[in-house]
Amino acid sequence: MSDLMGKLAPENVPRLAPGCRLNTAGSPEDLLLIPEGALRLKGPGRAIVELCDGQRSLRQVVEELHRRFPSEDAARIETEVVTFLARLHDRGVLEAV
Amino acid sequence: MKYQPRALIAEVTHRCPLHCVYCSNPLEMQRRSAELSTEDWTSVLQQAGEMGVLQLHLTGGEPLARRDTTELVKAGRSAGLYVNLITSGVGLDEARLDALVAAGLDHVQLSFQDTEETTANEFAGTRSHAVKLRVAEMIRQRRIGFTLNMVVHRRNLAHLEDMIAFAEASGAQRVEIANVQYYGWALRNRDALLPTREQLDRSVPILEAAQQRLQGRLRIEYVLPDYYAKYPKPCMNGWGHQQMLIDPAGRVLPCHAAAVIPGLDLPSAREHELRWIWEDSPAFNRFRDESWMPEPCRSCDRRTRDFGGCRCQAFLLTGDAAATDPVCTLAPKHAVIEEILQRGNGSVNREWVYRIDPS
Repeated sequence: MSDLMGKLAPENVPRLAPGCRLNTAGSPEDLLLIPEGALRLKGPGRAIVELCDGQRSLRQVVEELHRRFPSEDAARIETEVVTFLARLHDRGVLEAV
Repeated sequence: MKYQPRALIAEVTHRCPLHCVYCSNPLEMQRRSAELSTEDWTSVLQQAGEMGVLQLHLTGGEPLARRDTTELVKAGRSAGLYVNLITSGVGLDEARLDALVAAGLDHVQLSFQDTEETTANEFAGTRSHAVKLRVAEMIRQRRIGFTLNMVVHRRNLAHLEDMIAFAEASGAQRVEIANVQYYGWALRNRDALLPTREQLDRSVPILEAAQQRLQGRLRIEYVLPDYYAKYPKPCMNGWGHQQMLIDPAGRVLPCHAAAVIPGLDLPSAREHELRWIWEDSPAFNRFRDESWMPEPCRSCDRRTRDFGGCRCQAFLLTGDAAATDPVCTLAPKHAVIEEILQRGNGSVNREWVYRIDPS
């Protein structure tokens, strides 16, 4: 697995940091609510964050997404997910234990 | 409607056990007998959620001075809001914090006045520092968003490194180190609080180094005093653009200080739907677009970034709420700021008055 940012390893177990949560499912827009405001989640953003449940490792999150989107290019999924989560991690929104 | 409200600042009471010399509350405070009830707030929060407001900031005064804080948190969450409690910590014990967390509290912002107990208590006008230390530990032990807030000024800016070290060890995810903004009691005590240019110049590299060193571990937000800035702050990100404030008696304001502006007929949430207040009330539309702007704002490239600055500050310092914020170096009345800075950096009476507690 790629190690784009050097901070998130495949065996890390990601979960939202304290004070960060998804808005209510089924709302007009998918948002990640954080202390300073909200981040708008596009496309599969919400599904990815939901998989970061503090149980699955990053590798398992990616594998689950491969299962859900079998027609998508596996390498592209991996790159996009890791980039997305690394950005949340850099912002302090995501913990990786 | 072009403007979408995102945050509701709920000043649920003006009562407070602290008497901070820089309190942002108005000098004329609402009394307990005038406060909205639990049911009133529940209705207001429901309306806010339906309008697309995302964040609720429960503040005061001290929001814990009300007995129904837990119910207010619950009402906020039921309305779909992210709930932040802005508190001094006084009035919080383990059981009450557990109840607040169980009610869905997302985040606590805990204030400190200094890192030294003696001066912290002096600035707060009460012996609260030791209590705050215990409360910080209680918050750290729970899985909840935690921001420390330190208001800085002439008398405590020298402790900046200690403040950062304290924040680092506190377990908070964020710390706001905010220079006093001069409204309410802070304006009354400005001569005693205004930092010197040297103090500010010293503070910036300390903050920048700490931000870099602590990246990914602790977010540090630093707010400079706008009197020393070249251009004004984008106050509230624009009048009636994203935020509204409701005072203890239910008056709805575009910002903390708007009640000082003469002729602004502040609508009440007791009498009107929140949506009407936001979209149609004269108060929220008074400075919303650009039609009120004088020169040099009207033709200035920065008008879409700072919206001409702060209307309340323009009124407080020039007597005209529709003047360019005098903080701006391009403002016709900028000399007012230069005089204040000159006086503040000279020898003036630095005694202060303490914020009173409305009964």
